[in-house]
Amino acid sequence: MNSLAEKRRAYAVLVGPAVLVYAAVILFPILFSFTLGFTRWSGFGTPEWIGLQNYTRMLSDPAFRIGLRNNMLIVVVSVFGQIPFGFLLAYIIYRKMVGGHGFFETVIFLPITVSAIVVAKLWNQIFSPAGVITQLMRLVLDEPRYVFAVFENRDMAIYPILAVIFWYYTGIYMVIFLANLHKISPDVIEASIMDGAKEHQILFRVILPQMTNIVFTTAVFAIAGSLRSFDLIFAMTGGGPARYTEVIAIYMYFNTFRYYNYGYGSAVSMMIVFLSLGLITMLMGVSRRFERRYS
Amino acid sequence: MSSTSLRHRKDMIAWRVFSYIFMAIFTFLAVAPLLWLTYSSLKPHPAIVRNIFALPQEFYFTNYIVAWQRGQLGMLISNSVFYSVVATAITVVLALMAGYGLAKFGYRLSGLIYTFFIMGLLVTAHSVLVPLFVMETRMGIADTRFGVLLPYVGFGLPFMIYLATSYIRGIPDALEESARIDGATYLQTFWHVIRPISAPVVATMTIFAFLANWNEFVFVFVLTSRQSLRSLPVGVNAFAGGMSRDYGLLFAALVIATIPMILFYLFFHEQLKRGFAAGAIKE
Repeated sequence: MNSLAEKRRAYAVLVGPAVLVYAAVILFPILFSFTLGFTRWSGFGTPEWIGLQNYTRMLSDPAFRIGLRNNMLIVVVSVFGQIPFGFLLAYIIYRKMVGGHGFFETVIFLPITVSAIVVAKLWNQIFSPAGVITQLMRLVLDEPRYVFAVFENRDMAIYPILAVIFWYYTGIYMVIFLANLHKISPDVIEASIMDGAKEHQILFRVILPQMTNIVFTTAVFAIAGSLRSFDLIFAMTGGGPARYTEVIAIYMYFNTFRYYNYGYGSAVSMMIVFLSLGLITMLMGVSRRFERRYS
Repeated sequence: MSSTSLRHRKDMIAWRVFSYIFMAIFTFLAVAPLLWLTYSSLKPHPAIVRNIFALPQEFYFTNYIVAWQRGQLGMLISNSVFYSVVATAITVVLALMAGYGLAKFGYRLSGLIYTFFIMGLLVTAHSVLVPLFVMETRMGIADTRFGVLLPYVGFGLPFMIYLATSYIRGIPDALEESARIDGATYLQTFWHVIRPISAPVVATMTIFAFLANWNEFVFVFVLTSRQSLRSLPVGVNAFAGGMSRDYGLLFAALVIATIPMILFYLFFHEQLKRGFAAGAIKE
């Protein structure tokens, strides 16, 4: 009896603090945010209940739609750019197709250790009208008055950001895939080489089927990560020109902390949660169908 | 040599050629911007404008001295060290404790709590920013170091608990039971048995948490307004906004902000890799 009470007390001491902090910082604020999303509130006085108005307003706001489009572009770059390229890099290193693979691994991962703010400011200089690309194009085109002004072009401004996102995060996918590839028994590959399998057959018929789980799990985190992109874009363009590079998180930030629409800002942040849940559910569906086909 | 392995070798040559080209391009893209940043930071502003690619004629360290003073980088670095070290320590300790409880106590409640934590992996900082700001303002902890540390720890917990729980689950029950038979309480068992055995996962957790905390931006940015509480990323962002006229100064500040993490990575990248292997989802 005594020992059962001791066990329960120990459990509370061990698990309690983490649960408390987690509840205070994540659980409770999410619920709070959900409720605030149905109100109009500027931070003072009592929030006024307005039902779904925040959500309808959001869907009809062109600025929100641009943010949504940009977020989706980032999801596309993550899922169809970073993941396949990260996988290929990992595979090349895993199969030891290059000498000095330790070196390549270390160097390609390097960008991820740099803070997003530094990455943003660095690439800004590269893309700026007086920056590296401009000078490079002047040399290549032999046209001394060429100016690369991508950030002044509303429709093009998001593309350099997508390139930077690709540059910044691909290394992390490489490392994740590499760690998982090392868990595959080398005998499987030896055996298929003996059977006369070609290298691309090994990749597509032997390795990839064993990795589908990891690829889908990684994709889930890629989607969640894509929707949280804020720091990099905020420090690069601040959402400009004229809000054309805003993502939903930046849209939320401006509405809340610049225009003091706390209720509306909460609704927007809940939208981020709904979107990531929606996309992830969709991905799970695809993954289940995929698994069935394989088995 | 059999004919199959000969054929495989021919196939491999094509792959190797492709691989070298592919890796060379990626490596160049990964390193070139960072190298360019580093050597450009040693050129005075006019020299950068005159020829953006040229290597420095001499090492112009004045950029570093001026950037350090004007950007108050010393203060920013000590703030960042404070936030990262304290938040990492608290997160790792809390996560290890919770990991023991969730992995070994066999309560049904544990499954629910664990699921809650794992769901936290998908919650973005931005979805709680508004209520967090409101709460902290009401409680009077906005614009304090404590108010910054709280979300650092909260958002670090899900992944750290995931790592700790999966590691502790793998520890044989026999070890823990023998300590119990010797009359140790659960808390003593945690301290004398679980904690020492968990040293490898603690190393991994510490490195991951530290890296995430060091590069964290949005909490300090939103939850503080006092200059003296700013972390390195937030301070550098402000400095870069004001100093963009002098590229030399800007580059020097960016290099100073980057060096600590690059060193950290070069020292610890083996543990980092192991962390990714441990974090890999088991089939």
